[in-house]
Amino acid sequence: MPALNLALHLIRRDIRNRYLGSFSGGAWALLQPLIQLAVYGFVFVYVFKARVPGADAPGYVPFLALGLWPWVAFSESLARATTVIQDNAALIGKVALPRAVLVFAAVASSFLIHCVGFCAIVLALRLSGVPIDLLAMPLALCGFVQLFILALGIGFLLAAVQVFVRDLASALPQLLMLWMFASPVFYARSQLPERYQGWMDFNPFTQYVEFFRATLLHSGSVGLMAQLVSLVVAIAVLAIGFVVFRRLGPHFEDFL
Amino acid sequence: MSDVLVEAHALGKSYPLVFRSRDRLRALWHLLVGRGHVESIAVLQEISLCVRRGESLGLIGENGAGKSTLLKLLTGVLTPTEGRVAVTGRVGALLELGAGFHPEYSGRENIALSAALYGLHGDEVRAKLPQIIAFADIGRYIDEPVKHYSSGMVVRLGFAIVAALRPDLLITDEVLAVGDESFQKKCVRWMEEYLEQGGTLILVSHSMYHVQKLCRQACWLRDGKVAASGDVFEVTQAYLAYQERKSASQTPAREEIAGQGLEFHLLDLMVNGEIGDAPLVVDRGSDARVRARVHSRDGRAPVIMFGIVRADGTPVYGISTEMDGMRPLRESENVYSAEILFPVLPLLPGSYLIKAHPLDPEGVRLFDTLERGLTIRGQSREFGLVHLQHSWIGSQPAAAPVDRSLSAAS
Repeated sequence: MPALNLALHLIRRDIRNRYLGSFSGGAWALLQPLIQLAVYGFVFVYVFKARVPGADAPGYVPFLALGLWPWVAFSESLARATTVIQDNAALIGKVALPRAVLVFAAVASSFLIHCVGFCAIVLALRLSGVPIDLLAMPLALCGFVQLFILALGIGFLLAAVQVFVRDLASALPQLLMLWMFASPVFYARSQLPERYQGWMDFNPFTQYVEFFRATLLHSGSVGLMAQLVSLVVAIAVLAIGFVVFRRLGPHFEDFL
Repeated sequence: MSDVLVEAHALGKSYPLVFRSRDRLRALWHLLVGRGHVESIAVLQEISLCVRRGESLGLIGENGAGKSTLLKLLTGVLTPTEGRVAVTGRVGALLELGAGFHPEYSGRENIALSAALYGLHGDEVRAKLPQIIAFADIGRYIDEPVKHYSSGMVVRLGFAIVAALRPDLLITDEVLAVGDESFQKKCVRWMEEYLEQGGTLILVSHSMYHVQKLCRQACWLRDGKVAASGDVFEVTQAYLAYQERKSASQTPAREEIAGQGLEFHLLDLMVNGEIGDAPLVVDRGSDARVRARVHSRDGRAPVIMFGIVRADGTPVYGISTEMDGMRPLRESENVYSAEILFPVLPLLPGSYLIKAHPLDPEGVRLFDTLERGLTIRGQSREFGLVHLQHSWIGSQPAAAPVDRSLSAAS
């Protein structure tokens, strides 16, 4: 299957270039969330004295780590997918290639890198004595796959729209920041005022953070029904994203 | 062997006019829900063509005629606005300069990407890599990012990749224009061999010489429409004649030159009994009779020189009355003429120019130039400009006529 072969090639090239391409660039992909964790951990734990509510609550740092890595994978893949068509304009204008592969490769390589980072930080936390349930790791990785489906769907949408509306790429970092603070990455849902807690269900990312914390840290719980709904949402978003991408794809070259 | 590789039917392409961001939003809305109207400009209309396996088609036309757009439609890079196009077989395309390289990545990585785009796997690429690098012949630049390449190097690399992939259909756009002489020759040689082995070619070029050398068919695009298509010699001839007429208005008229009061100027140039600007088409091996009339201000006898150059400017032959010890004929007090006959013109098929110049009686100063296009029609596998007399010594004639495609493939 040539498209798959091409996708694998692009993913390999992407990862190789981010690791080996520049001296710092490679490690950067793994270090970036680690530095974020250190900064946020310092600010929230030592300055704001943040605590995770509950009697047998985990420490704040593992609580944050399990939300932060999926978020970094998610937001970075969206940012990269948005500009991937424009970045490859030279290629698209000369070669007839399946354009969806470019988006797929951008999202997949971000997820691969941060999935490795996620596994590493989970292991590191376990070794430092945090009671993480390592047996639940395969389940957590399934959550990562589902998050990938959601990100791919949104990535298709953003990539297609960016070709027509150039402002998107510049607005995206702000939008992603808003989204991050609107998701229970730094806090638990239970810390919100009662009347806002229900609204969290409308944020598709909420489910993932809570899922990772529930499976690995046994902090909070997620219902099976909610999990199913979020899977359906992810698949629906992917379907819509792909349809829009397929619809606009043949006209990219006219607008690049 | 006559299966159709490319079939285009009533192909049309319009580009949307989107200068303001509001137009882009409207275009997006239009494409998503199919409502609203987007201003567009048509660059190609009603193009139909068909290329079978083993054929070679040259696309010619002025800048902006739509040649590159047509190639992009054929390769699937662009989506046609109207009509349909069907391409079967593996296509290798070199569109404009660049061949789809990523400027940030090295030549080696771009080779790998092109091969992956073409559907090759890792080990197949590794097997072909030395061959590609040898053909491109760009030395250590192979490991440099493509953005540091000269345009010639980019084309070298692009062509080397295509050559190694051996596609069923090769589509090239002005590839030969940027390479240096030796690389051009290498490319032309490769394409000739490729065609002999049954390859199919669609070539865009402004060099009629290359088009005539490589293609059997030609298609002339003018303002997005097919102006002529068919046999390469007839189409290129029609195109050259059209160019000639266009530039005729730019070159000074005869009267103007006459008014400059030069010592000598040409009155007219006659080829095979015809005066005019339209280029002449003759069959290979025809006679050519060329006659020029020269006005001499002081009544002194000029030296009249005739020359033949290939359409790209390569001189073929030049001869003057003085070299052969001849005197031009004095027609009246101020008018001299000379007529020369080239029997069984040994020129190989292609486009040429016949030129005439008056020189001063000493044969030193050149005063004026008149030229006339001449196209030799015919098929030939010989190389070069002219047929040289020859005979084979000691060789036996082959028993049966050798099948070209088979002998070349074995």
